[in-house]
Amino acid sequence: MSALPADLEPRLRTAAPGGCAFSQTTNARGVTVAWCELADNADLFAAATLLKEMGARLSTISALQPRPPEDDDEDDDDAKAKDAPPPVALSGLPIDGKTYQILYHFDLDGSTLSLSVFLPVDAGTVPSLTPLFRNADWPERELMEIYNLRIVNHPDPRRLFLDESIEPAVLERLIPFSTLVNAASTKSLWEKIIEHKEAES
Amino acid sequence: MSTYTIPVGPLHVALEEPMYFKVEVDGETVRSVDITAGHAHRGVEYLTTKRSIYQNVTLTERICSLCSNSHPEAYCMAIETIAGIELPQRAQYLRVIAGEIKRIASHLFNVAIQAHLVGFDSLFMHVMETREIMQDVKETLFGNRMEIGANTIGGVRFDLDADGLAYLDAQLARLQPILDDIITHYRTNRSFIDRTRGIGVLTHAQALDCGVVGPVARASGIAYDVRVKAPYNAYDRLDVPVQTGTDGDVWSRAIVRLSEARVSIDILRQCAADLPAGETGPRERQIIPAGQTVAKCEAPRGELIYYVKTDGSPNPERVKWRVPSFMNWGALTLMLAEAKVADIALIVNSVDPCISCTER
Repeated sequence: MSALPADLEPRLRTAAPGGCAFSQTTNARGVTVAWCELADNADLFAAATLLKEMGARLSTISALQPRPPEDDDEDDDDAKAKDAPPPVALSGLPIDGKTYQILYHFDLDGSTLSLSVFLPVDAGTVPSLTPLFRNADWPERELMEIYNLRIVNHPDPRRLFLDESIEPAVLERLIPFSTLVNAASTKSLWEKIIEHKEAES
Repeated sequence: MSTYTIPVGPLHVALEEPMYFKVEVDGETVRSVDITAGHAHRGVEYLTTKRSIYQNVTLTERICSLCSNSHPEAYCMAIETIAGIELPQRAQYLRVIAGEIKRIASHLFNVAIQAHLVGFDSLFMHVMETREIMQDVKETLFGNRMEIGANTIGGVRFDLDADGLAYLDAQLARLQPILDDIITHYRTNRSFIDRTRGIGVLTHAQALDCGVVGPVARASGIAYDVRVKAPYNAYDRLDVPVQTGTDGDVWSRAIVRLSEARVSIDILRQCAADLPAGETGPRERQIIPAGQTVAKCEAPRGELIYYVKTDGSPNPERVKWRVPSFMNWGALTLMLAEAKVADIALIVNSVDPCISCTER
């Protein structure tokens, strides 16, 4: 176990001239979890290259559509809360529940650094990290099938787990539980059986 | 000579879990492998955001059976970090006990199947019978043989009294000599060695390249173990010698798992000896504030990593996890390169594949 290299933050800032927000916390056992949000997605590949040179292992990649923080101030009237613009990411993109965030979780000898970028809905792309990290292959394929995200230069951009017949961006839609489990529970199963029986008789 | 394509799977390649390998062969030799996944995809990641933070402790335990304890463990660790909950000392040790019992049972299961796949069924049955000792331990201490429900946010859901500790100690005393004998067998038996040495090799450089973790990485000489590199629970106070191999073959991976099962016995004894008195968990449920973190633990198959984001509401905003099996599929295509058709199932089993974990 070792702490993150002391020069990690300055080196990341050099690799990402567009700017970044870096923070880290170390728990009582000395395990560090760090975050680095890039302002310019064009810096992603350079930052990842730096981490590769520093011997980092790509643990996994997460994607989400961050929601704006809920206004829990009871005194605020609804109209005012609605008018307030959503908070913005470092890149200037609104955090409105639609903008995507991709987090690349790297392991540096036990410490975790999550490098993140924000992508606009419909237009954003990021380069594939597979030229640097071979194991980015499956995580990137998974991102592309559960979100409406495009990874450029992926060597094998086929579906990973979901069949081609399933509509894209499943994580962006509300899928009723009965659909999710193929009507294996709830009353729709019985409705199907009754329908079938009535058709037979 | 022309090549032709044979299907391997999706059912019963090595275990009763579905994965489909499209293998191009030239005579008896594998030329290329294309993997088609998705047969066990259930959308659990989606489901976590529709359930409350506390309900997800139960849900995550059901992602997989062999590492069922590790999922809620890492998930709880993430939530505890976000909420700033410090685990009681006794709970830290009890979590280690639950995890190591599961590790022994999981590793013995895998090496037993390995014996079955080389056609050594008497060894297979002997190891499975030995594993029953740990299954009995789970049933006695937790009330279940697989999903032991040990974790809760901020603590554990079980406690061990003097009787429980004495029972555990007696079962470990029963297990240890049999396990030592099994290890000697796997190390020296010609018919096992002949089928597993030099087969399905993943070199050190390839292992680094693929980002593999757990026994697969350690058998290729990467001394990475989350329990040591990023200690959690009581692991910073316990002696955890990391088990590694050098050859990266099917045999090395089996030996690493057996050695780790042996180490787990020692860890369990350390825990039983050092178990502090006190509370095992919180008396009341806390409201989990907004936050995000990454938590990882050493599941039987290696590093299990959870990314959790909460927004102050009862349900988590996003829960994403990556199981140790996830990178093994990429590594498998390297291990299977130039392999003999008869060795495919052996090599697949040697990465201890977990498909319900991989696909969620």
